[in-house]
Amino acid sequence: MTGWLIRRTADAALTALVAVVLLVILVHLLPGDPLAPILRDRGADPATAAALAARWGTNRTILQSLAALFTGVIHGDLGLSLSAQRPVLDVLADHLGPTLLLGSLTLLIDFTVGLALGVWTALHADLATARWVSALSVVGYTVPSFVVGTVLVWLFAVKLGWLPSGSIADPLLSSSAGTWAILADHLRHLVLPLAALVIATIAVPLRQQRSAVFEVAAQPWVLAARARGVAPARIAWRHCWRPALTPIVTLLGLWLPLLVAGAVFVEVVFNWPGMGLLLAQATIDRDVPVVVAGGALLIVTVQAGSLLADVLYHVVDPRQRPT
Amino acid sequence: MIRTRLIAAAACGIALTQPVAAQRVANPTVVYAVGAEPAVPLPLFGNNEESNEDVADQLFLHLVVFAPNSHGTADNAFVPSLARAWHRIDPVTLTFDIDPRARWQDGVPVTSRDVIYTWGLANDPTVGLDRSRLDPIASVEAVGERRVRVRFKQPSAEQVYTFGFLMQPLPAHLLEKLSPSAIAASDFARHPIGNGPYRFDHRTPGLAVELHADTAFFLGRPGIARVVVRTTTDATARVNLFLTGETDVLDKIPLPSIPQVTQRAGGRIIALASNRLAYLLINSRSPGDSTQPHPVLGDARVREALAIALDRTTIAHTVFGAASDVPDAAQSQIWSWITGGTIHGAPANPARARALLAQAGWRDANGDGVVERNGTPLRFTLIYAASSAAGNLVALQAQQMWRSIGAEVTLEKLDGGVVGNRVRTGQWDMVFLAANQDPTPSSLVQSWSCKSAHQAGSTNFAHWCDATFDQLVQRALTARDQAAAWRDVLTRMSSQRPAIFIAAPGNPIAVNSRYDNVILWPSHTWLSLWQWRVRPGAALPRDR
Repeated sequence: MTGWLIRRTADAALTALVAVVLLVILVHLLPGDPLAPILRDRGADPATAAALAARWGTNRTILQSLAALFTGVIHGDLGLSLSAQRPVLDVLADHLGPTLLLGSLTLLIDFTVGLALGVWTALHADLATARWVSALSVVGYTVPSFVVGTVLVWLFAVKLGWLPSGSIADPLLSSSAGTWAILADHLRHLVLPLAALVIATIAVPLRQQRSAVFEVAAQPWVLAARARGVAPARIAWRHCWRPALTPIVTLLGLWLPLLVAGAVFVEVVFNWPGMGLLLAQATIDRDVPVVVAGGALLIVTVQAGSLLADVLYHVVDPRQRPT
Repeated sequence: MIRTRLIAAAACGIALTQPVAAQRVANPTVVYAVGAEPAVPLPLFGNNEESNEDVADQLFLHLVVFAPNSHGTADNAFVPSLARAWHRIDPVTLTFDIDPRARWQDGVPVTSRDVIYTWGLANDPTVGLDRSRLDPIASVEAVGERRVRVRFKQPSAEQVYTFGFLMQPLPAHLLEKLSPSAIAASDFARHPIGNGPYRFDHRTPGLAVELHADTAFFLGRPGIARVVVRTTTDATARVNLFLTGETDVLDKIPLPSIPQVTQRAGGRIIALASNRLAYLLINSRSPGDSTQPHPVLGDARVREALAIALDRTTIAHTVFGAASDVPDAAQSQIWSWITGGTIHGAPANPARARALLAQAGWRDANGDGVVERNGTPLRFTLIYAASSAAGNLVALQAQQMWRSIGAEVTLEKLDGGVVGNRVRTGQWDMVFLAANQDPTPSSLVQSWSCKSAHQAGSTNFAHWCDATFDQLVQRALTARDQAAAWRDVLTRMSSQRPAIFIAAPGNPIAVNSRYDNVILWPSHTWLSLWQWRVRPGAALPRDR
């Protein structure tokens, strides 16, 4: 197992490295003026353009860009954001926190409530409520998240005035506010974006789990347990759920990057200062240092998620363990 | 709701109501949202980002500011700010006297040393300023602790603006030890120390910047104690913040949201003149060989026909709102003083457009609906950025209207970077562009003069060069009757049709009705925010 883990980790690292190199090359080939985030609609005389290009490194070759990136990683300095004119790592750090908060709570709800509902709807497929839950989850999945978000803002913020329309906190909250007041404020701001994301995503684990449980429920050992008179709850969680977890583990691994990548549309609608919003804006603005650093972070997360899924897969299903 | 229309030409700023002096609200606050984080709120270093400029205007004084109800950029269109007075020595020399009461917020007096230092920064290429704006200035020197002398290369009616308004001094004593290229990323940029009505209080990344009034401000205690600038990238999210009362003002209101915003209780819409201009730039040179005329658009009669075939009023109003004007030349609403306070473009005349084409030899010989001349059909491509919703709507309507005169237009919606590349390399026929104009008409030379046509990196993308136009600009710079002289310039441009000017949009701004003495400016909108007041009795919890 240890040997397998080392080989798998090395594979993931190599894949990430190749992907980062490709990312740098692709960003280098992007059309447009790399000084656009600085110059915008202004002109620049040749001396100014040359000075800016040298200062911001936009005149580097692909090899020089790669060298600068890897040297930067070693020294913990990925350069400055062209738009914010601040260290890229600081800019990423500012946006990573809100994305981690929103993403982790979404995953938590999806993979607890969603899975539980998946098991329950599979085992009670003949109930009308179960069918409704399943159908509603699909509706939530089908409607784009920004539509869900826009409706939620219109209803709960604009019409009813119960919740703020967006952002992560109230900038007017007094600096002397206590911990509970700050926490309550964050929770108020979290409700709508979290609801929008959960509505848009919960159908996937729910339906995956439902299908898997359906399949497992028809297996001989489940039928045997039923014949022995084992309690339904015990059949559900002990005999059906664990064997039905395998596809869910794969799904979890694939979704882990959501923690870091953010959800662009929801972040835009709710003005949630996360990574999705940052990277989308950086791409539009051609803020190359942020695009490359943010992209590299995503690549590493995707590889880490994939690796974690493989490991968990082996934990959940002993038959898959390497000998 | 109070709906107030500010006449674009006459007003650079207008006080809507008189200040209320008697009672005070403890903590009068203004919250507004901007589209990008004001990460570097410093003059010169803000990357031309409006949010940076907005905040910098609260922290750093200009030497002079626009006079209420003024128009144009003549000497008398300005009033003192950081400069107590200015004197004209001769047609090319001005002196500015810094107000002796002016202090940096660390207590150090503002002196001519700060002005000279900032002038040096502006000329440093690593700072990245568009130095063509500084071209008219020959030298700047200190002639005393608080007096600077500015020499210009030639006489011009815009000299006070060119130096006095554009100059926002930075503190030499705090920055001299830093290399110019390090200032934007320095601690000073994160927590600036200015000389204006507000002190920088704190920044919450991705969320907001908070400014507090400098109660010792030498021009008077600010009427607004706290200014909170929220970062909100999405225009709809900014509208929602206003509708829920989380912000107090809203500018650049998206067209579909205007009814909602106007309906909101307590909101008033001010139709402010804008410096925006939307147009279809024409490449009159061959995309393959820039020394040759464009096979279709190189003919001035074709350009004229295409322009008058469009019902630009309908396009402007449906895309940019009813407050938009339709100019025939590069004239945004802030320059409406040139044409007597109003902007009226020639009406659509498809019949005359067809006649012009026929006169130029364009006829539909094969009956396919597209006119030809010498076997060349009247076909061209219009490119625009995919991110531009306005560009898309303008292009679709124009395509339809041009079809009626036998012109076939292919629309290409491209990535913004690709549009930039195509335009810079001459591989284009027509492009939709939107620009923000300077308050001074002389800035036309940056995009429309023969000098800029031959200058690498200029914004004269079409390399448009017309000697008569340049001569008229030179004459206008020193003309006694500024409006008449600039009118001649615009008329000449209109006759040559280097572009089809679609709209000079307005800038509707919603302002919560609890404010008095609301003064807004067409460019540098929030420059006079410190003079606003919250009406006693109308204060919200955040004002108390």
